[in-house]
Amino acid sequence: MEHDPHLQRVLDRMRSGVLSRDGFLGTDPRPLEEVLDADRSAVAALGTTHEEVAARLGEVLDKARAGLGTPIRIGDRLVATHREAMGRIPCPFGGCGTFPKGEVELTDPATGESLFLTALGIHMVGKHGFYQGRGSRYRLEPTALGRLMQLGGG
Amino acid sequence: MDGVSFVLTSTVVVAATCLASAVVLLIAERYLANYGPCTIDINQGSKKLEVRGGKPLLATLMQQQIFIPSACGGRGTCAYCKVKITDGAPPIAPTELTLLTDEEQQKNVRISCQVKVRNDLAIEIPEALFRVKQFTGVVERMRDLTHDIRELRIRLVEPAAIEFTPGQYVQLEAPAYGDNPEPVYRAYSISSPPSDKGHVELIIRLVPNGICTTWVFTMLKEGDEVRFNGPYGEFRLAEGDAEMVWIAGGSGMAPFWGMTRHMREHNVQRPCTYFFGAVAQRDLFFTDEFHDLEKAMPGFRFVPALSGAENDGWTGEKGLITQVVERHLKDGSGKEGYLCGSSGMIDASVKILKAKGIPEDRIFYDKFT
Amino acid sequence: MTDPSHAGGAAHLLVILVSAALTDNILLTRFLGMCSFLAISRQMKASVGLGLAVTFVTTITCAINAALYVWVLRPYGLESLQLILFIVVIAAFVQFMEMLIERLSLGLYYALGIFLPLITVNCAVLGAALFMTNRNYGVTEGLVFGFGSGFGWMLAIVLMAGIRERLKTARIPPALEGPGITLIIAGIIALGFVGFSGMVQP
Repeated sequence: MEHDPHLQRVLDRMRSGVLSRDGFLGTDPRPLEEVLDADRSAVAALGTTHEEVAARLGEVLDKARAGLGTPIRIGDRLVATHREAMGRIPCPFGGCGTFPKGEVELTDPATGESLFLTALGIHMVGKHGFYQGRGSRYRLEPTALGRLMQLGGG
Repeated sequence: MDGVSFVLTSTVVVAATCLASAVVLLIAERYLANYGPCTIDINQGSKKLEVRGGKPLLATLMQQQIFIPSACGGRGTCAYCKVKITDGAPPIAPTELTLLTDEEQQKNVRISCQVKVRNDLAIEIPEALFRVKQFTGVVERMRDLTHDIRELRIRLVEPAAIEFTPGQYVQLEAPAYGDNPEPVYRAYSISSPPSDKGHVELIIRLVPNGICTTWVFTMLKEGDEVRFNGPYGEFRLAEGDAEMVWIAGGSGMAPFWGMTRHMREHNVQRPCTYFFGAVAQRDLFFTDEFHDLEKAMPGFRFVPALSGAENDGWTGEKGLITQVVERHLKDGSGKEGYLCGSSGMIDASVKILKAKGIPEDRIFYDKFT
Repeated sequence: MTDPSHAGGAAHLLVILVSAALTDNILLTRFLGMCSFLAISRQMKASVGLGLAVTFVTTITCAINAALYVWVLRPYGLESLQLILFIVVIAAFVQFMEMLIERLSLGLYYALGIFLPLITVNCAVLGAALFMTNRNYGVTEGLVFGFGSGFGWMLAIVLMAGIRERLKTARIPPALEGPGITLIIAGIIALGFVGFSGMVQP
């Protein structure tokens, strides 16, 4: 399949070893367009939007970052822990500048379910509707987000 | 006979067509893609380079032993290799547009790996970059400082000595390995004192999904050859004898470990309080060394603090490092702040230091964090 | 090309042009150059850029290939070699163009340059050259036919890009999103273009 050269450049940057060791697409066999389309439908089914998801996750990230590594309670069920890393990472879509590295592990201790949030990951959700490929450490599965964050009032 | 002549003519025709195309392309390469010798004027005549055009500016400068910081190795993704081109710049390429702000575009700032040298150029770079060199060395010692922080001690081979000021950093090259198609470069502060000219020490924390740190933690062994370039960075102790407040966390320890030993060697009596934040005791390192230095250096105080809830037996400071600074620092006026750590820690520390009366231009930290 | 009914040169060339661009549109009636058509028509700007690049390359390579065919291959009875030689010529020409455009106009290079490597593998460019020899065109006719084919391809992709911009806000059954709806639309446009078919007889 041929790609628009701009999209091809984005795909090249998402490959493993270019910006991050494991890349952004994980083990997802689907082409990027399909990942984007499927997640768009999934988020719409939750009754919310990319921007709203990103805003909610951004609040969690900010709270956890202020904890400087100590676990922070989010709401009454969740715990978020920030793990610092130095340096910045650019957005693979290009043109969005760079984002501080470091991740936040958001866990529901009751179920053990957890997600890894990053500043870049949240930016990509809000600006590009990209939740990363399945199998990636930073994949933000919309249904899991819905369960953990109780998005869309559900 | 027909068959033979057909084979012959087809061979000749195919060969001739391919040859003609190749000749056309070679001539084009020779005359069209050849931009001849070009002059690069750096900082209004402070250095003039005669180079062959046709290659990206970043690579051209690197051939001339001038190293612009770059993390991605010229792939146009990291946007670190910004250079001001004051004359002769080509129009901004679409690949650059995405990496430059409007303000930078107006100030003629360009992404040097995306600008091809096609004609004479005049550029401006920090003078300090002239001193940046490419080094090879051998890993002399590698030790774990905590469960996820490792110290590398590298013996320099070529060149055999390095000149730097404490607080500067180098860019370590992680070679292509596994899926990684090309080498990448990552910045690490030098943690050894400048008096040890034949070595550099780096303190590296494992980053999940990190290209360079994964290489350091899983592939690199003592005795291996490593390459890095440097020194870079403006982070250093300011002139004068103002009292200093240092705040660090995790691998942000690195520049201060070098600065403290440097101050000890030169008998600097400048008053200084070093706040080091960690979550649990297993995240602390060099504590004994710093307490020893405290005894030897009258003005120096080391304040480690733990923020985690479960720290049995810890009698030192507790709470977030910002809260500890808040408690200890009465009045910041006339003092200077030095920070190294994650961006979250730096943001929070700048806020508290400003609230304590240290003006923003007296708070120093490296931009690469 | 020596058909006496086409004695009026200019009129004949006009017929070739119009039929190549409209009634015999290489994309919509032959479905050539489909993969880049599907991928790129998401965006109007890229579509125009690629369309211009295809038009340009098709025009010139058709003329070169016609010359090669009429003056070298046919006299020696080597018509069977046309396929590989056309590919060589197209690949070399695209490379050459990339260097030339970069030298002459950086603005044009930034706009078209990134599309040129895509064109080397665009089957519409090769298809146009092969149709041209099927129809026994000479060099001038080849040039016009090449331009018509390329222009027709551009017309089709720009039309599609325009429609797809509108589709972004339309409600499409999920199963048809992406290539599905694009192919259906391409089919409908193709039906429209077939309607032109009685108008000119090349």
